[in-house]
Amino acid sequence: MNIYIAAKYPFLKDAKEFVRKEGVSTEEILHDPLYQRARDMGMQRVNEAIERGMVGNYITADETDALITIFSYPIARMIVAGIGSDFLRRRYALAEAKRAYHNLIEEDNDFVSSMAKEFGINVTDELKIYFTDYLKNAPTWSEKWKLVNMPLKNGWVGLKKVELARLMQENLRNKLYNELLELRPPPSIKKVFAEDVTRIKNMMQRKEMERKVEIGKASISKFPPCMRQLLAAAQSGVNIPHVGRFALVTFLHSIGMDIDEILRLFSKSPDYNEERSRYQIEHITGKISGTEYNTPGCSSIKTWGLCPVEKMDDTCRRVSHPLAYYRYKWRSKK
Amino acid sequence: MNDFLKKAFQSYYLKPEISFPERFSRREYAFIFWGGRQMVRHVSFKRREELLTVLRRRVPMHTYYSSAYYEKPDAPTMNEKHWMGADLIFDLDADHLPGAEKMGYEEMLFAVKKELQKLLSFLLDDFGFGEKNVEIYFSGGRGYHCHVKHPEVFQLGSQERREIVDYITGRGLDAKDIFREKVVETKRYGEKVVPIKRLEMPKPDEPGWRGRISRAIIETIKEIREGDKGIEKLMDYGINKSRAEKIMESLSDERIKRIEEGLLDQSPEIRRFFLKSAIDEVAVSLSTGKPDEPVTADIKRLIRLPGSLHGKTGLRVQAVEINSIEEFNPLDDAVVFGDEKVKVKVTKPFKIKMKGESFNLTPGEAEVPEYLAVFLAGRKIAKI
Repeated sequence: MNIYIAAKYPFLKDAKEFVRKEGVSTEEILHDPLYQRARDMGMQRVNEAIERGMVGNYITADETDALITIFSYPIARMIVAGIGSDFLRRRYALAEAKRAYHNLIEEDNDFVSSMAKEFGINVTDELKIYFTDYLKNAPTWSEKWKLVNMPLKNGWVGLKKVELARLMQENLRNKLYNELLELRPPPSIKKVFAEDVTRIKNMMQRKEMERKVEIGKASISKFPPCMRQLLAAAQSGVNIPHVGRFALVTFLHSIGMDIDEILRLFSKSPDYNEERSRYQIEHITGKISGTEYNTPGCSSIKTWGLCPVEKMDDTCRRVSHPLAYYRYKWRSKK
Repeated sequence: MNDFLKKAFQSYYLKPEISFPERFSRREYAFIFWGGRQMVRHVSFKRREELLTVLRRRVPMHTYYSSAYYEKPDAPTMNEKHWMGADLIFDLDADHLPGAEKMGYEEMLFAVKKELQKLLSFLLDDFGFGEKNVEIYFSGGRGYHCHVKHPEVFQLGSQERREIVDYITGRGLDAKDIFREKVVETKRYGEKVVPIKRLEMPKPDEPGWRGRISRAIIETIKEIREGDKGIEKLMDYGINKSRAEKIMESLSDERIKRIEEGLLDQSPEIRRFFLKSAIDEVAVSLSTGKPDEPVTADIKRLIRLPGSLHGKTGLRVQAVEINSIEEFNPLDDAVVFGDEKVKVKVTKPFKIKMKGESFNLTPGEAEVPEYLAVFLAGRKIAKI
């Protein structure tokens, strides 16, 4: 692989090979003045992930630039893993994946499909992918991406290049996130990037604090297990499927939370987009559409796979609606 | 009465024809026994003979096994079982068909069979499963089970299985995107060039739902045009008479030709009608809704053991070959009991054709073959 391509996609096997071939130790990368630029760029990757939600495209005028860019990637990963904030891990994984997506859509079909194969996605030359790979990677909570709206034949889903690139973004995001969870960086990483690590840690802690939003009159201890689980997911920044968001928003709205309060809960999601979220919440709560949606009952919650059956309690068995659970808990308190 | 049924079942379970699931010892088994209220769960067997012994000695009313396979299938909680994978299971039951309440038993079974054919077409054509990966069983009750055993599906999670169900039931279909605008010509008005747009129907050979809808629309048109019963046929689709007359009036030969060529720029009403009837025709009615009901998306559900007997009919959970679905008649092919005469007391009028013989029962005492006696007792239509 040519070194400029490796610099653009530093997560590829061949890019890792460039690092290996240099034959330098982790300690050298972290301390040797030769790699100062790579360390700066590694920090830049992390900063851009935090500030803009996407890492930048770095100019690679010659092979040295390209090599430095390649090195900046493992350094950035060590920094993220060293800070140990789950929010940052998600945010950074998404930021790298988004960058890859924007580069990929400019490549030709052959390139995209060969990279898809490296990702373990079963793809043909005409950019058809096997439906199980599609289901594992596509954001099917959005109507546009539901399998029912895709051209499926003999087990293969025909995709456009941008669609395949979007799936690869999702795949890469998951893969990076899991790698970051596993990664054990050398302890010296905190010394080398001492100031930055402290700065970012503080920033993350502030975010953690904000996360504990007051839920007004609402009392979480009276939430049914399904809503408690959804709320916890929203607050820890896990992506929730569309139906889950819908169920949670209608529930929170019904128990008296206003749009801004609900919005603050969702602002912790790694791909949070205030405008879109506000629109969705206003739509569901009836501010835009004029239709105020009701909270779905237990049967729908179950159908959507949102009912944590293992966590069902006695009150669950008495009621058939999450709101009934909440009201029952209030009454039985008095 | 349970004694009569249990005895009959026992005679079958002395020499049953069970199809044992693959990964036999990794499955959980479950039973409901005569008179027992609770399901006995979390049972596992190392060897097939152990299961046969339970069937023979304890004669269960209902017998199930898990679609999933586990590291420890007999552990008491799901977490301790350690899920390893699961077959993909579809349930087709008369209960989910519109208007099923008004149907007789045979009629229901026939209606479910139609859904089964639709399901198979999705599984074989769209999902590309081979016939060897798809097994069909008559459930012993009022429907069919379809087991997909393909290495690519075992590991699918609940969310992914739900997507497959949504595909087959048409849930989430973006109907607005079925007819697409297409520029057919441009007109010049002085300086201005105006594109003339038409709504275009999908082509019959398109993959996925688009092609299916196209084929269903063409089929519907043919059906309406055949003979002079168009209005009645439209009314069959639930359209009232005056509207049906209006539609027929507007369906001139020329217009129909245009539709068949793919141009569906008719009134929105006609478009809606064709689209809706096509979606209804294509979609499969699957059990997806009621609480506490096992569904396809459930990755740890229980399913009836092939070859066991259904406690409420005495019929066998019977394998059906894909190419003989058309001829399969559960009231013949899933009957295991003989025709020695048994005295029964019929409690309500009942008509049925079983083993090629028609029975027209009226309340009171009667002598019927054992297979019918079991069926009537199971369904609580007669006392023994």
